Amino acid sequence: MKVSNARVCVLRIEGTNCEEESYLSFKRLGAKPEKVHLKQLTRTDVTSDEKRSLADYQILVLPGGFSSGDYVRAGAIFAARMKSRLSRDLVEFVRAGKPVLGICNGFQILVETGLLPAMSGIMTEVPEAVLSTNDSARFECRPTLLKKVNRGSCAFTTKIPSDKISAIPSAHAEGKLTFPVDRAKRVVKELADNDQLVFKYVDPEGDIAGYPWCPNGSTENIAGICNREGNVFGLMPHPERVFFRYTHPDWTRNPDGAGDGRAVFESVLDYVSKKL
Amino acid sequence: MSSSRLYVPQDTPFELTEIKLSKASDDELMEISRESGTGLSLDEMRRVRNHFDGKGRNPTDVELQAIGQAWSEHCCYKSSKMFLKEYIFGIDNRQVIDRGDAGVMEFDRDHAYALRIESHNHPSAVEPYGGAATGIGGILRDVLCMGAQPIALVDPLFFGPLNYPFRKLPAGVKHPKYLLGGVVAGIRDYGNRVGIPTVSGGLWFDESYTGNCLVNVGCVGIAEKRNIRRNAVRGPGDVLILVGGRTGRDGIHGVTFASAVLTEDSEMESRGAVQLGDPIMKEPVIHAVLEANEKGLVNGMKDLGGGGLSCVVGEIALAGGCGAEVDLGKIPLKEEGLAPWEVWVSESQERMMLSVSPKNADRVLHIFKLWDVPATPVGKIIREKRVRLYYDGTKVFDLELGFLTAGPEYCRPCHVSEGTRRKKERAPKAKTKYDKDLLKLLSDQNICSRDWVIRQYDHEVRANTVIKPLHGKTGHWTHGDAAVLKPVEESFRGLAVATASNPFAVAGDPYRGGKTCVDEVCRNIAAVGARPHSLTDCLNFGNPEKPDRLWQFREAVRGIGEVAKDLDLPIPSGNVSFYNESPRGSVLPTPAILGCGIVRDIRKCVTSDFKREGDPIFLVGETGPEMGASAYYRSTGSHSSKVPDVDTAALRAGMDVIIRGIERGVIVACHDVSDGGLAVASAEMCIGGDVGANIGLEKLGRLRSDVKLFNESNSRWLIEVRKGKEKLLPKDGRTKVAKLGRVGGSSLVIGSSRRLVDLEVGKLAKSFGSTLWRMVG
Repeated sequence: MKVSNARVCVLRIEGTNCEEESYLSFKRLGAKPEKVHLKQLTRTDVTSDEKRSLADYQILVLPGGFSSGDYVRAGAIFAARMKSRLSRDLVEFVRAGKPVLGICNGFQILVETGLLPAMSGIMTEVPEAVLSTNDSARFECRPTLLKKVNRGSCAFTTKIPSDKISAIPSAHAEGKLTFPVDRAKRVVKELADNDQLVFKYVDPEGDIAGYPWCPNGSTENIAGICNREGNVFGLMPHPERVFFRYTHPDWTRNPDGAGDGRAVFESVLDYVSKKL
Repeated sequence: MSSSRLYVPQDTPFELTEIKLSKASDDELMEISRESGTGLSLDEMRRVRNHFDGKGRNPTDVELQAIGQAWSEHCCYKSSKMFLKEYIFGIDNRQVIDRGDAGVMEFDRDHAYALRIESHNHPSAVEPYGGAATGIGGILRDVLCMGAQPIALVDPLFFGPLNYPFRKLPAGVKHPKYLLGGVVAGIRDYGNRVGIPTVSGGLWFDESYTGNCLVNVGCVGIAEKRNIRRNAVRGPGDVLILVGGRTGRDGIHGVTFASAVLTEDSEMESRGAVQLGDPIMKEPVIHAVLEANEKGLVNGMKDLGGGGLSCVVGEIALAGGCGAEVDLGKIPLKEEGLAPWEVWVSESQERMMLSVSPKNADRVLHIFKLWDVPATPVGKIIREKRVRLYYDGTKVFDLELGFLTAGPEYCRPCHVSEGTRRKKERAPKAKTKYDKDLLKLLSDQNICSRDWVIRQYDHEVRANTVIKPLHGKTGHWTHGDAAVLKPVEESFRGLAVATASNPFAVAGDPYRGGKTCVDEVCRNIAAVGARPHSLTDCLNFGNPEKPDRLWQFREAVRGIGEVAKDLDLPIPSGNVSFYNESPRGSVLPTPAILGCGIVRDIRKCVTSDFKREGDPIFLVGETGPEMGASAYYRSTGSHSSKVPDVDTAALRAGMDVIIRGIERGVIVACHDVSDGGLAVASAEMCIGGDVGANIGLEKLGRLRSDVKLFNESNSRWLIEVRKGKEKLLPKDGRTKVAKLGRVGGSSLVIGSSRRLVDLEVGKLAKSFGSTLWRMVG
C-alpha cells in the first residue's frame, strides 16, 4: 500500500499528552494520521460521524503521557479500558500483521494489555512483565543513547544501521522493565532467541552502562522490545521528540542530518508500503 | 458565628444569614470582618454598611463574602495599583494584542503568544506539594482562557538555606529542605501529568525566605490569532457554562489568606485555604476548551482562580458591559451541604467559565462529555450591570457590579525606614590565588547546578523545546540562559523564554536592583540569539502597610518600568504578592521576571557550552567596580552599597552585537555574566563543553583581580567566536568587545602573567554538580 494511504490511529484518553508530536511524526512523512479518542473506538458518547473502527487503520500508536494519571500503575487504567471493550479488534489488528507502536506510557499500556512481550500468543491474559518504578525512585528527563540489538524482526527499526548509537531521550518515572524474578534470566534469553529485544541503553562508547546512561535500572538495560512477529513494538524513550536534529540536546554542537528518531517512523511506513 | 445580634439566620432550607450591618458600631464592624474571614478594614466595612444603608437592607453572608474577595489586596491590587499605573501600565506598542488574565502578544502574522506569571507563596509555605501543584494549574488556566495552547511552564523558587539549623526554625515553619522537596514534587507531578514542558525557572536561597518561601509559576502559550478570546461575554443571552472540576470546601478564603502575613498558626487556621489539584481533570479540560474554542463555539472565557465564582462571574460579565444571573444550586459539588456563600467563594481547582451563545451550548456540552469533563450551564448574561444569585428559587444575592468591582485604591505612606544606618563598606582581602573561592562559588546553593530539579521536570514534552535548560556535550551539562521553543510547525520562528530575579541587588538598592532584573532577563534572551519582546513580572514583597516595604516596592517597580520603557518592552500581564512576611520579618524584595524573545530562525540559536579548542573568547560589555550584592561579597562576608546600575543604551547596543553575531554564525557559544561574574561564567562554559580555556584579564583595565573575576556588572556576555571569523563580529563603535583568550586544554586558567585560577574542568564540574544532590538528593 502507498504510504500516502496509510491511516494511522493515534489513540488517546485523558492524560495522554504526546499525541501531537506522534501525530506530526507520521504526517511529516506523508502518511494519514488521526488523533482518535478511545471512546470513538468503543462508540461511547459519540455522534455517528465521530465513530471509528480500528479495522480502518493500518497503524495503531499509543503515545506517551500519563493516561488517567497513571494512578494505579503506569498504563494500567488505559489497558483495562481498552482490553474490556476492544480485545477482539486488537487481536485481529495484530494478527493481520498491522504495526502497533507504544511509546513510553504507550509501552506501559502494551505490557499491561498483554500485547508485549506476548511470548505465548498475540495477547496474553495476564501481563508477563511490568514497567516498574525507576531505581532512582523519581521522574527522569534526560538524554539516553540506544543501541539496536534487533537482528531484523522488528518492523520499526529496519532503517537503523546495526552499529548506530541513536540519541533518543527518556522522560519517565516507571521504565524499569522487570520480569518475574524466578525466571527473569530465562525470559530474557527467550526474548533474545526470538529476536524480540530491540533497543538497549548504552554509554557513548556503545557499552552497557549504569545510571544515568540507563535511567531506570531496566533488566539488562532493555529499552524496547517487540512481539515475536515484530509488528508490535514498545519502548520507553521518545523517538517522536527527536524527529529533527534541532530537538537533540546537543544539536548546537552537531547540527547536521536528520533527528535520530525519524528512522523509527520511516521504518514502519516502509514496512506498511511493502507488507500491507 | 458568635453573636446573634449581628447575625440573623434566615428561614431557608439551606444556610443563609442576614448580617446586621446597619446599626453596627465600629467595633462590631471589625468583629464581623474578623469572624467572616473577609479581612476587610474598618474603612472598607463602613463603605459596605453605607452602601447597604442606601439600599435600605442588610447584606446576606453571600454578598459580604463576595465583597471581601473582590476587595482583597490579591484581587484588586489596592496598595500597588497607583505605582503600576505610573511605571508599568503605560508601556505599550502595536505588538500588544490583549491584557487579560494573561497578556497576549503578536508572534507572527497569523499567531499570537500569551504569557503570565504569578505567585502561589502562602499555600506553598503551608502545604508545599498541593500549593505548588495548584499554582501550576492556575497559571495554565490563565493562558488557556485567552484561547491559547500552553506550551511552556517556568518556576522561579525561593527558599531558606538548605542547611538551616533545625533548632533555629521558628514555630510553625517547615524546613527549607522539606519545602523544596515538596514544591519540586508538586510541580513535577502536576506539570508532567498535564504534558506541558517546564523549560525555565530558578532557585534562590536566603535566610529571609525561611518563614515564607516564594513559589512563582509562569506559563507561555501559543494560538492562531483568530482563536484569541477576550475574558468577556459577547452580550445578553449568553449562557454561562461552568466546566471542569467540582466545587468543594477546599480553597475557601484563598485570596484573603494570600493578603495577610503568615503566622505560627497559619498551618492550623488556613490549611483549608489551600486547594487540591487534579491534573487528570486539567489535561482533558485543556483539550476540550481548545477544541470548543477552535470550532468557534466560545464567545469568551475566564478561569476560576482567586475568589472563585464570586470574582469570575462579575468580571467576565462586566468586561462585556453586562451583568449575570446564576443558579447556585446547579453548581456541581464535591460534597453535599455547602452553604451558598461557600459555593460562591470556593477556589476549588480545574474550573473555567465559558460564555457561549445559546445555539452553541449543546455542541460545547457534547465536546466536554466526550472528554468526560463535567460541563454545566449555570446562568445567563443579562443587560443590567448587576449579579443576582438564586438558590433553590430564593434570591440570595443582588449587587451592582459597579459597587462590587470598585475596590478601594490606596495611596499608602511610602518611605525609607527612619534610622537605617548605612552599613560600612568592607572589601575582602586581596589574594594571589582564587581557586578555592571559585570552587566555593560554584558549589554555592545560589549558583550550583540545578540538574537535580530540572531532570525531574519533563522539559521536552510536545517536542518543541529546541534550546533546553541544560546543555553541553553528551554526558556533560551546564546551565543555559534561555529556553527556546519552536511553537509553529510550518515555521522556523522561535520563542525564547527566560526567567530572572536578583533579590540581593533589589535589597541593596531597590531601584538599581529592579533595573538589574530586567537587564538580566534581556541578557538571557539575547544570549541564545533572540530579541527581547515582552515581559511579565511577579512582584513579591512584604507588608505594604509598612512604609519601608512599600518604598522598596515603588523603587523596584520604577527601575523595572524605566528599563522596560527604554527598550520598548511591554509588560502586558503580571502579579503582585504582598504580605510575604513571617514573625522573623519580610522576605528580600523579590521581583521575578519572565521574559519572552523572538528568534527569526531557531537553527541559528547557540548554547552556552564551549564548542571547539582554539576558538577565541571575547567579553562583550563594560566591567566596573560594582561589587554590591555580588555572590563573591556575600560569600566572603564583605559589603558594598554599590549595586551595579544599568545603562540602557549600553544594554541595547550590547544585545545588538550579540544577536547579530549569533545570526551571522560568528558566535558559537554565549553565556551572560551574572552571579559569580566572569570566573563562574567561564567555568560553566567549560563544564558544558568538557574543555578548558585560557583567559587573560589585562583588557579589563585597572581593577582589583577579585573584582575582575567576580564582579557582576550588568549588560555583559562571554562569547566563543568561530576561529578565523573574528573580523565578522559586529562592531558598533560603542560596545566594548575584548578578546580575553582561547578555548582549549583540560583546565580553566585565568590570568596570563599570574595564574589567579588554575583548575581542571573535572574538578569544576564536581563542585558545580554535587551540592543539591548532597543536600537534598
